Amino acid sequence: MTSPSLVTQDLTIRFGGHVAVNQVSCAFRPGELTVIVGPNGAGKTTYFNLISGQLKATSGTVTKDGTDITQMSPSARAGHGIGRAFQLTNLFPQLTVLENIRLAVQARSGDGWRMLRPVSRFRGLTEKAEHFLEATRLTSLAHQKAANLPHGDQRKLEVALLMAMEPDIYMFDEPTAGMSLDHAPDVLELIHQIKADPTKTVLLVEHKMDVVRALADRIIVLHNGELLADGNPAEVMSSQIVRDVYLGTSEGME
Amino acid sequence: MKQTTGTLVVKLVVLAIAAVLLFAPFLFQNVRSVEVAARICIFIVLVASYDLLIGYTGIVSFAHTMFFGFGAYGAAIFLKDMGPGWWPVALGAVGGVVVSLIMATAIGLLSLRVKAIFFAMITLAAASVVLVLVSQLSQLTGGEDGITYKAPDLFKPATKLLVDGNGKVVKLFGVSLNGKVAAYYFVYLSCLVLFLLMLRFVRSPLGTVLEAIRENEARAEAIGYRVVAYRTFIFCLSATIASLVGTVYAVWLKYTGPDTSLSFDIMIDILLMVVIGGMGTMWGAVIGAVLLVLAQYYLRDLMGAASEALSGVPVLPELLAADRWLFWLGIIFILLVYFFPKGIAGTAMQAGARR
Repeated sequence: MTSPSLVTQDLTIRFGGHVAVNQVSCAFRPGELTVIVGPNGAGKTTYFNLISGQLKATSGTVTKDGTDITQMSPSARAGHGIGRAFQLTNLFPQLTVLENIRLAVQARSGDGWRMLRPVSRFRGLTEKAEHFLEATRLTSLAHQKAANLPHGDQRKLEVALLMAMEPDIYMFDEPTAGMSLDHAPDVLELIHQIKADPTKTVLLVEHKMDVVRALADRIIVLHNGELLADGNPAEVMSSQIVRDVYLGTSEGME
Repeated sequence: MKQTTGTLVVKLVVLAIAAVLLFAPFLFQNVRSVEVAARICIFIVLVASYDLLIGYTGIVSFAHTMFFGFGAYGAAIFLKDMGPGWWPVALGAVGGVVVSLIMATAIGLLSLRVKAIFFAMITLAAASVVLVLVSQLSQLTGGEDGITYKAPDLFKPATKLLVDGNGKVVKLFGVSLNGKVAAYYFVYLSCLVLFLLMLRFVRSPLGTVLEAIRENEARAEAIGYRVVAYRTFIFCLSATIASLVGTVYAVWLKYTGPDTSLSFDIMIDILLMVVIGGMGTMWGAVIGAVLLVLAQYYLRDLMGAASEALSGVPVLPELLAADRWLFWLGIIFILLVYFFPKGIAGTAMQAGARR
């Protein structure tokens, strides 16, 4: 088995008396897609925030390829190859689709401090951004403002931004939430492509069971901020404890 | 985004303004008009450098005149101490920039992490402290009276730039090519260079990062930009440009005092210009500065003339009396903000079909 790329060790965050994530220890390996499930308020998004740096842990550590990143800012973590798409659409609204993606490409290329030549002269950046537009089928919308896109296309742009960062760790927070049926397959296909790359680690928060079944190599279950179950999909989904706390009844499985 | 016809119109207007300013000493042959033209040049750069902060990056600062003042006082103090010459100007420019950079870095690193409103408060406090210090340290700064000094010899009215066979100064289109013309072109060219430099900055990759920070700071951080570093940097860059243009203004005026370079009245003028012109466009700075400076100098005259022309009509002459110019400026400002919420340039650039 390959060694883990991302490890959380006893990861904990407290908000006053409330423990939102409690001693979660988990290792994620390249070439593996892990789906994180759990009822609302289970701490899934908080767990993501602790990994990508929007929140800092009260105790415990996050390591990426052996480097302790627990105290790093989000931008430094992005520099270490951790990429994140957000649950609520989180774009640069007044910029165009192309400009949005070019920003992510440029963050990765390290050209952000160049200040004497127009950005249009950096052909490489634009070409790469166009490549990701094509991959996400957003090319026809390249010159639209992000704010003017329909919700489904904004969700796709959210995913495109993550892809343009070319991280090692891809974190998707309900990527198909609120998407119409004709958009969702596009996004799932993209996640499939990323998953096919054996060097990439994918973490996915998802509620829709058909999506979970189609993509998951492994499922972990969070409940009240604690790691409740961890294993291959069939095992986890059939375990009684998971049925009890998360699904309530077995009907949710179908 | 593709250019709109409105964008084209705005650019043409700006080009026309640049051309008029270029020929200002020949087009308007009186002292006051050239004074106005120089002030417009200075304020275009000052407002554009403020637009880097407020329009492009979304940083609200009230300390912009402080940096402008550092540059002006730098030149003034050295010119007073060392007498007229280019060395004191250069030393003043460098000194102003160094002090500005120290202050900007200190304010930036200490407080750019805090919320926007606290940052604005801290800049306001710093600017107030500097204003008080300048009026207290009268040994160095001349206090409320300011400092009067001589500009480099090249800019003396008696200087002859070109002489004919008889040793008399050459006239071009009826204008003597003397030191006053040289001084104006010193202002014009300095401002042009600084403005073009800023145009380059905002079109560069760095400019796109600034816009990203304005649009969504958290996401800019999440995709890998060190937001605090970028914000501190642009705050320093904007301060440097404000300081340099302060030096230029000090050389032009041959007088520096709190009212010409440091006062909050100037800060308010800058804010009005950037809002009237349109934030985050650079062109807006040009349009805003031209309109407000012209209004400040000529609205009074215009109203005086209108009031006299209407002297037979009841009420109107009273309303239009020259002394009420500020009242009318206020009304014009409210109407502009109401009808052009994104400023004149910002609103115009959205208008018209995409080409």
